[in-house]
Amino acid sequence: MARGNKEILANLEQIVGPEYVSNEEADLQPYTWDMTWAEPRMPDYVVMPKTVTEVQRVLRLANHRKIPVIPYCNGTNIGGLCVPEEGGIIMDLKKMDRILKIDPETCYAVIEPGVSHAAFSAALKATNPQWKGEEFSKGFEFGWGVHPPSASVLAMAINHGIGHLNGRLGINSQLMSSMEVVLPTGEVAKIGSCAYSDSWHSFLPLPRMDGLFTGWLGTTGIVTKLGVWIFPIRPYKDVLTIAAASAEDITKYMVRWRHYSLCDEVTAVSWWLAQIPIVFPYSPKPADAPEFFSYTVISGWSQEELDYKRKMWKEVVAKERAKGTKLIDFEYPPEAKKGRTELPSRIVGSTKNYSKSCGGGIAWPGTFAPCKSWPILYEKWKEIYIRHGLSPATRFTDYQGAHYGMLRCMTPFNKRDPASVQAARDAMVECVRAGLPEGMLPYKPPVEYQNELNAVADAGYLYLMTKIKDMLDPNNIMNPGKLGIR
Amino acid sequence: MSHLLKNKELKELAKIYDWVSMCTHCGNCKYGYEYGPTSNFAAMLCVQGDKFNFDSYRGSRGKVSLARSLLHNRIGWSDKVAHVLFTCTSCGACQQMCETDIKPWILRMFETLRYEAWKQNVAIPENIKAWSSTIGTLYNPYKEPHEKRLDWLPSDVKASLPKKAEYIYFAGCTASYRRKQLARATVSLLKKLKVDFTVVADEWCCASPLLRTGQYDLAAKFVEHNKALPEKYGASAFITTCSGCYRTLGRDYTMDAPEGYADKYGKMTGVKVLHTTHLLEEMLNKGEIEFTGSFNKKVTYHDPCHLGRHAEVYETPRNVLKAVPGLQLVEMYRNRKFSFCCGAGGGVRGGFADYSLETAGKRVKEAEATGAELVTSACPFCYTNLADAIELNKSPLKMEDIVEIIEPIVKRK
Ligand SMILES: Cc1cc2nc3c(=O)[nH]c(=O)nc-3n(C[C@H](O)[C@H](O)[C@H](O)COP(=O)(O)OP(=O)(O)OC[C@H]3O[C@@H](n4cnc5c(N)ncnc54)[C@H](O)[C@@H]3O)c2cc1C
Ligand code: SF4
Ligand code: SF4
Repeated sequence: MARGNKEILANLEQIVGPEYVSNEEADLQPYTWDMTWAEPRMPDYVVMPKTVTEVQRVLRLANHRKIPVIPYCNGTNIGGLCVPEEGGIIMDLKKMDRILKIDPETCYAVIEPGVSHAAFSAALKATNPQWKGEEFSKGFEFGWGVHPPSASVLAMAINHGIGHLNGRLGINSQLMSSMEVVLPTGEVAKIGSCAYSDSWHSFLPLPRMDGLFTGWLGTTGIVTKLGVWIFPIRPYKDVLTIAAASAEDITKYMVRWRHYSLCDEVTAVSWWLAQIPIVFPYSPKPADAPEFFSYTVISGWSQEELDYKRKMWKEVVAKERAKGTKLIDFEYPPEAKKGRTELPSRIVGSTKNYSKSCGGGIAWPGTFAPCKSWPILYEKWKEIYIRHGLSPATRFTDYQGAHYGMLRCMTPFNKRDPASVQAARDAMVECVRAGLPEGMLPYKPPVEYQNELNAVADAGYLYLMTKIKDMLDPNNIMNPGKLGIR
Repeated sequence: MSHLLKNKELKELAKIYDWVSMCTHCGNCKYGYEYGPTSNFAAMLCVQGDKFNFDSYRGSRGKVSLARSLLHNRIGWSDKVAHVLFTCTSCGACQQMCETDIKPWILRMFETLRYEAWKQNVAIPENIKAWSSTIGTLYNPYKEPHEKRLDWLPSDVKASLPKKAEYIYFAGCTASYRRKQLARATVSLLKKLKVDFTVVADEWCCASPLLRTGQYDLAAKFVEHNKALPEKYGASAFITTCSGCYRTLGRDYTMDAPEGYADKYGKMTGVKVLHTTHLLEEMLNKGEIEFTGSFNKKVTYHDPCHLGRHAEVYETPRNVLKAVPGLQLVEMYRNRKFSFCCGAGGGVRGGFADYSLETAGKRVKEAEATGAELVTSACPFCYTNLADAIELNKSPLKMEDIVEIIEPIVKRK
């Protein structure tokens, strides 16, 4: 069955070629939903542009005819962010999949939206850091998440994605260096050093206009090229593990360890998240099992460097123990260690760890929160989750600098059962509501979280946000409905 | 939003909904990938997605999503649905990538969707309909008379074949009617190696094309017929050079769902199923084969999906090739579990010849990039598609099956 209107279809065909546009429901159906509870919504067209000019022409048409456009790469955002709330055009950007540049001297790369983590990591691993032909070491890396390797690097970075170097370097939007964007009205703009030369190395010292397109969930324009910093792979790595009897104790340890800025990452997962798959529906953990398990990844250029970091880590553990923090020794199984040092990974990035046999649903209250709120919110979330029959499969990850980090609860649910879907949705919205006063902010927020955010936001902030949105997207065509302000 | 099974008319599909609903829509299946200290592989593996682009065509996610959309009554049947279903080559690359509980059911689900499609008024590819209309009486999908099935067999060999033997050489339809030289090379090889085998005039299509295209009802009598052959000829094993037949006899006839169709047709028991390369490897290991010559060429091996991903036989053919004096084996970037299909399977060669050959052309280019002079494989169907693409693209490559490489230069020790 076909949707949309024939004239628009013909226009789109003219722009991208008939092979790259469809209005057939059979083609549209995979774009109607994702793994979350988001209500499926049918788009009217899907287009796959291959060039910036095609993106511009599609946006001009959409803007003229006031048709929604939803930027889409792989739809794995766990927020229903590509579900077309008001129908319209899915702009599937997978055909724009070129790695345009890897500069091994200035250590940045320029990529298109369709470049997957898989393709990018393969290309980076094959490029060696160097200066005028002299190679220093083997391979580059970027901040790899634990998502499916088919997911887009660009879509991840511009939505504040989290990768394995977040403890050392910050989140991935902090690793962006330049961008090219097509505005909803069709103009192309370059932002950062690339606006002045073909060097894509930095946004600074210019006004940070990349902020107009970062964290906006595809509601302000289409980013068509992105410069990102890349980092030499350190040859020595280790994963150090420790457990704790409570969220309070694991947080104390994590904050002290982070104080020294010696690790690439430090993360803790609750007992329920450490189970593969996550326990669903909820059942209590064994009384003698630790509440939290933590790993930290250290890396270095020599064995000595690694040994030093290990020594410092042991000191931190000893100091915390001396203070009375209950830390429990435990060893990661080798498979789990690999999962932390060999990223991105198709195994880690698959959803098997989360949802085996439970009906396909996955969502999370994924948030950035000040570290001191973690133990407080964990106890609140745990109560909420257990009340809804869900396991509090919680994760804390510190971001560079011990200021704040990830607080999230990976939540499998059974999509075949309306009660299960409702319970998951209700629990997660309640968690977000409980977290906001503690400084917690959801990332890649589904519409329901966005509404919670808007309800308590500073009025001036919302005013400014609305003004920017109206200025960039006067006809509100870009992913409408996702920000809850228009 | 919940995923309620609303369309109960799609009975076969509804039966496996428990598995279909395990898909998380994660998209792992859309791209081939592996990372580790020694491997760093990344490439598009989905033949269908490579050609038709949209997510509906990419990996299993598009088709699981389609199955759900149909079962939830969110979309109806259309010609486009049929196109999405019948342009998948059943290569199994998506299944290889999936890590959730739907994984083992993916290919079975594709076939079930096709089964349901036959009952709808939608555009099943004409050519598939054409061969399907005669296969029930001709027992092959090539519309050739059954009486000519053994025309490939040299008369002297025919005369010398025993009535009863340990092995039945199951030539399959492609070798019997289209790649006769492969069938001839196989019997010549088996004779040289003094294998106790026979060839039977009442071999019928193994039913691979029927099962892969979801024609469950029609397939029943083929499975039943072929299953009875070993007892009739006193044989304890089937041996075949065809990877499609190997998969069908060895898995569909003998294994429970989802790997096989024992749930529908019962289980074939007490009969071994070997690919020719299995026998060669075994005899090589036992020192029973002597090479009388060499094969001084650089060769690349194409993994047939039915032998590789479907049955996980990757090293056996390679071990055989590595034993050949003079032969230098080089790998394509996409190999073994991450191989790229030749484009012929799942009824695609019959249904969409141009697209099928275009895919084979991509594989030929990849083979050329290795610097090999010759591409080899272990399946007459892959042979056909790759050889046709070599010709079409005027590629300098030559194509020979493993059996053709080995047969002229071996004898039984
Ligand atoms: C199991 C699992 C684990 C995950 N783990 C992580 C993790 O560790 N770290 C992490 O960061 N994420 C994680 N994610 C979330 C997600 O996979 C990533 O954020 C991913 O990079 C999104 O890529 P995508 O191609 O799926 O983007 P999509 O979902 O297609 O798009 C994401 C958003 O970006 C917008 N968008 C896409 N392209 C453009 C463009 N060119 N211009 C403007 N807007 C655009 C879309 O409209 C949408 O709002 C995980 C997901 C899963 C399923
Ligand atoms: S079986 Fe092969 S062609 Fe079909 S969807 Fe899977 S990867 Fe693609
Ligand atoms: S089929 Fe498997 S890999 Fe593909 S989307 Fe579903 S769960 Fe993920």
